[in-house]
Amino acid sequence: MASHLDSNVIPPSRQRETPRSGLTWIGQSMKRVEDPRILAGKGGYIDDVTVPGMAHAAMVTSPHAHARIVSIDTSKARALPGVIGVYTGQDLARVVDPCPSFASPPVPQHAIVLDKVRHVGEVVAAVVAEDRYVAEDAAELVEVEWEILPANVDIEASLEATGDAVIHPDDRDSNRALDESFQFGPVDEHFAAAAHVIKRRLRWHRSSAQAIETCGVVAQFDPISGSYTIHANTNFYNFIPFVIGGSLRVSPGELRIIPVLAGGSFGSKVFNHKILIRTAGLSRLAGVPVKYIEDRVEHFTNSDSHGSDRLYDAELAVMEDGTFKSLRFTVLDDYGAYLQFGVGTHGNAMAQVTGPYRIESFGMRVIAVLSNKTQQGPYRGFGSEVTNWVMERMADAAAKELGRDPVELREQNMIAADAFPYMIPTGNIYDSGNFQKVLAEAKGLFDLDAWRERAKALRAGGRCVGVGVATCMERSVYGPTEWWSLNNRETPGFTLTSTPEAITARVDPSGKLFVTLHSPMVGNSPETVVTQVLAERLTVAPEDVVINYSDSQSGFNSVGPQGSRFTAMIAGACVSASIKLEERLKRFGAYMLQRRPEDVELRDGCVAVVGSQDQKKTFAEIALTSSFFRLSFPEGEEYDSGIDCTAVYDHPISTDPDPERKHLGIFYPIVGHICHMVAVEVDPGTGKVEILDYAAVHDNGTIVNPRTLGGQVWGGTANGIGTALSEQFLYDADGQFTNPNFSEFAMPTANEMPRNFKLGHVETPSPYTEYGVKGGGEGGRLGAPSALTSAIEDALSDFGVTISSLPVTPPVLRGMIRAAQASG
Amino acid sequence: MKPAAFDYERPNDLAAALELLSCEEDTRILAGGQSLVPMMNARLARPKRLVDINRLPDLDYIRDEGTHVAIGALARHRDVKSSRLVRDHLPVIPAAYEWVAHAAVRNRGTLCGNLCHADPASEMPALMLLLGAEMVLTQASGTRIVAASDFFLGLYETAAGPGEMLTEVRIPKPARDTGWGFEEVGMRKADFAWATCAATMRLDGGRIAAPAAAVAGVGDRATRLAELEAAIEGQAPSDSLFADVAREVAVSLDPPSSVGVDAQYRRDLVGTLLPRALAAAARRAEEAKQ
Amino acid sequence: MKKTAINLTVNGRSRDAVVPPRMLLSDLIRHELALPGTHVGCEHGVCGACNVLVDGKAVRSCLMFAVQADGCEITTVEGFSAGGLDLVQTAFWEEHGLQCGFCTPGMLASAHELLAENPDPTDDEIREAIAGNLCRCTGYEYIIAAIRSAARKMRDAETAAKRQPA
Ligand SMILES: Cc1cc2nc3c(=O)[nH]c(=O)nc-3n(C[C@H](O)[C@H](O)[C@H](O)COP(=O)(O)OP(=O)(O)OC[C@H]3O[C@@H](n4cnc5c(N)ncnc54)[C@H](O)[C@@H]3O)c2cc1C
Ligand code: FES
Ligand code: FES
Repeated sequence: MASHLDSNVIPPSRQRETPRSGLTWIGQSMKRVEDPRILAGKGGYIDDVTVPGMAHAAMVTSPHAHARIVSIDTSKARALPGVIGVYTGQDLARVVDPCPSFASPPVPQHAIVLDKVRHVGEVVAAVVAEDRYVAEDAAELVEVEWEILPANVDIEASLEATGDAVIHPDDRDSNRALDESFQFGPVDEHFAAAAHVIKRRLRWHRSSAQAIETCGVVAQFDPISGSYTIHANTNFYNFIPFVIGGSLRVSPGELRIIPVLAGGSFGSKVFNHKILIRTAGLSRLAGVPVKYIEDRVEHFTNSDSHGSDRLYDAELAVMEDGTFKSLRFTVLDDYGAYLQFGVGTHGNAMAQVTGPYRIESFGMRVIAVLSNKTQQGPYRGFGSEVTNWVMERMADAAAKELGRDPVELREQNMIAADAFPYMIPTGNIYDSGNFQKVLAEAKGLFDLDAWRERAKALRAGGRCVGVGVATCMERSVYGPTEWWSLNNRETPGFTLTSTPEAITARVDPSGKLFVTLHSPMVGNSPETVVTQVLAERLTVAPEDVVINYSDSQSGFNSVGPQGSRFTAMIAGACVSASIKLEERLKRFGAYMLQRRPEDVELRDGCVAVVGSQDQKKTFAEIALTSSFFRLSFPEGEEYDSGIDCTAVYDHPISTDPDPERKHLGIFYPIVGHICHMVAVEVDPGTGKVEILDYAAVHDNGTIVNPRTLGGQVWGGTANGIGTALSEQFLYDADGQFTNPNFSEFAMPTANEMPRNFKLGHVETPSPYTEYGVKGGGEGGRLGAPSALTSAIEDALSDFGVTISSLPVTPPVLRGMIRAAQASG
Repeated sequence: MKPAAFDYERPNDLAAALELLSCEEDTRILAGGQSLVPMMNARLARPKRLVDINRLPDLDYIRDEGTHVAIGALARHRDVKSSRLVRDHLPVIPAAYEWVAHAAVRNRGTLCGNLCHADPASEMPALMLLLGAEMVLTQASGTRIVAASDFFLGLYETAAGPGEMLTEVRIPKPARDTGWGFEEVGMRKADFAWATCAATMRLDGGRIAAPAAAVAGVGDRATRLAELEAAIEGQAPSDSLFADVAREVAVSLDPPSSVGVDAQYRRDLVGTLLPRALAAAARRAEEAKQ
Repeated sequence: MKKTAINLTVNGRSRDAVVPPRMLLSDLIRHELALPGTHVGCEHGVCGACNVLVDGKAVRSCLMFAVQADGCEITTVEGFSAGGLDLVQTAFWEEHGLQCGFCTPGMLASAHELLAENPDPTDDEIREAIAGNLCRCTGYEYIIAAIRSAARKMRDAETAAKRQPA
């Protein structure tokens, strides 16, 4: 191990349930517990919430990318019948403070702007009215006089901007929000020793998750108690009170967030801080409960969840024999007008920046650029989807320049199956894996050799058919240091060190297991996972598990579904709870059976005497007796009535970053591995890409539910296909966002999906998580863009086209082909 | 995204509808609503008054009129797409309809509404030009017939006046041995076209007869390609001929450039798709002979 | 603003409402008739989350005004499950045809329309039938599997019913 990593000692495993075969419920494609009510139309999403006396908000939004507000006249809007109030940023500032920021130093943001707008769609004023129609009528009547300022649209030009083009002139005199450099290991030495230095300039364009449900809030301020009750489709309701309480000037005790089922997130609903704060403030100002649901255009233009927008100058040092030695890059990232998470998306990427390869050192300079676009936020991959693509582009480039087979070169550089846990140069570890096995599985599933032959033959016949292979990492179970580890060392900012998940559980006197979750359902399968794990661990029947959700006041430390953490973390919480419940059940049961706790075991929902068939008590009998008949048991606290617990699971294995940032510590250690193989045909006359065949093999450790994991892989792959081929936010020179709608931002429909998608799984259990479970919520999107890019480049190999930018829409591809035709 | 307020009328007969339309106010017809309502929801359209024609009797026909097929104002995309009559005589229409919107949109959207909307990237205006259709425009004071070639005037602009309703489209039945071709590229299958090319022709002793070709998505309106037709009439069909004439069309166009889709790309599409459409038409014409 | 009294049949039940002309059918269904199963994802006709059956045909309820539904028969997701999950819903459950479920009511409407017209659709016909319904979660494959399975179940039920002497 390289010496810069010496201080990063891998802690021992805290795994309690070892991975093993012969499990009863874990591994079953059980039908989801969540589904019946959702299928019946009774899911209970945010717009289904109504509270008595509720009014509706609509926003006055900026038509300009960058402009100063000279004046706002709300008088006509206020005079409209049905309008309760119209509020500017100054009005809102009477009751709320600026939005929280995790950046260090922070970039100030207001839920309604005070004096200038920094992107199209930013909120200038809000109307509260009796219904949404009237609210929108009034919003149109608000008159704003603008002084237009120069718009920053281009990532490199933004960096050079001066004068009026500076976006936050009160806080900084340029649009450079952060500029930090890192060396993990002897990068310069390795580059000096390299036989080949592969260089590429790579561009990843902006898009976002666009779940089919937008974000929304129903907020109610109670002037008597000074507290807020808020329904919201945020992922994160148990932490949100700490995050936004300051802005709302209340303590978490005066803030109750009630979760709802969210109609998809993919990161876009992680925080929703701005609409939470704004809507809450509006309810306080207007004196009525207020509902605000983003419309689709608002979700596109103002939802603070745009994805990465990066320009890389990347270099890979390769030895004579093809060994990848070192990687380094400078990356500019256009974060938009604000910087809510600092450069957390780059911290995330550091978890697996060197891919599945034995690259020994890594260096980077990251420059966060501010521009007149909506600010970035989480989006499926949280920045790692981009570095996966960069790494795979560099691997392909190396293969091309060395005249090597791209798959064979990857295999040569892959971390060996016996090298785990493996520490990469940034200090993160890969807990386990068998990349070779995944690759072999994919080769078989896809029939790589046959496809390559076929593609070659078809190309010889003049068709543009190509094959692409991507071998990528899928880190899961994040630790929070990813958010601050790249910040300026002197002022690292918001330094959390655990991302816990908890459940509360109780065996009720009827024998049912009542479980309260402290994180919402966002399209993942929390209830199903919990049911399967608890049924497994406590030997109960799945139908005896009854699940509900807490709110932020009845809840407990839980971070919720993000960063592919939830399944592994909630499984941990279930095991923690099971241990506590088992102890209680055995204590009471053993007493009832007149045995010692050591002599009984859990079996089929009973506490049974070891070795005996019929000496047992059902959980119902035990819970009934323990709950209602305290006097049946001896004195002592340990026999206090009832069987319940709250159990938390902290991050299974993490370490702190080195204070000098020689390494970033272990922060995203539970890694899955994915291999995607795809065959495409490009129509050179139109630039259209047709996917001819697709195979994806994922290793997500022990699989709790193959069907739901399959759904994630499929969905993520569809998402990745969109990212690669069709989804891009387009801005004109004035900073107008030209396609903020579902007609022009082209997400794949069923017609755009491959016809014969093949899915395979390898199971390399984690040695650190319970049962060896790993996360798998982002996987498809972490692999598909790379595989498709390779395949398209291969298909166009006769034109000598190099793909250095995503997405490759038909016009973009056709443009490359045209240029190649003209020059060749 | 909610529409601005408007007055709503739902007449029960054509005369009443025309009467309502003849008033001065900013009145618009509401047919399928599949173009108008999205624009109203975004407040890009804000008519004062809507005349909902959906309950007018006897306007949903697709009729065989001997020389032509007559399609009434309330015939839905869906009905036209699945009509036997249309399929038998005008097979290029159902083929093109594969590219028009989605099933649920086609369930309500009307052919006539689509033509009146005159989106430059819409398929059906190009087909009406291709097939030499006639538009029956009716107003309270009477009816006039306008050739498709005189109907589409520009971006969302047609010859239908404020008080007029397109009550019927008449599409001549081409000769039985007419072949057709239709090609389109957009981002996704059901999206508006970046370029659409359609062609029909017959073969007379191996020579192209009665050729027609039209494009959409590459200008402010759909366009019939008269010069190309003249150039191929009487020629033997060949890939090189079609490529040559398409190239000329492509350079003569002045397509719009939008962010992400440049004019040159649209020209390239015409250069690629038009020969394919022509070749398909020639192939089908050949097959029709057998 | 002038309001109009309308009457329509929703999920088999006659419902009266007084609506301004501009009220979208989706808002009537969700907020006035308190049937929130129908979802709204875009209000510009693309996502299909708002699809309901109007006189048996799948229609964007965000592109229809409530007044236009006067006298119509409307079926929403609540109607499909009036007597417990129906065959299509059950197939979605079994095949994992939903994740967040936001697109599901619209998908179900499209599936119902398809299966009423075409009891034995090919996969490509299924694709085409749901191509107007965006789903960001599933990648569609298990939705297609669900509709395929529902078709089979419906055909089996039909055959069984025929075999049963009256
Ligand atoms: C998601 C989506 C995708 C779509 N994709 C496509 C596509 O790929 N290709 C395509 O061509 N279209 C597409 N459309 C539009 C669709 O075809 C519309 O149905 C059609 O353009 C309008 O027909 P309508 O009956 O709905 O008209 P409406 O929306 O009711 O009216 C459109 C306009 O025409 C006027 N009008 C309507 N009928 C008449 C009449 N009889 N006489 C005079 N004026 C009239 C109206 O006043 C209005 O100005 C799409 C729509 C949606 C929502
Ligand atoms: S909400 Fe109606 S189509 Fe999206
Ligand atoms: S299941 Fe979430 S959008 Fe389809």
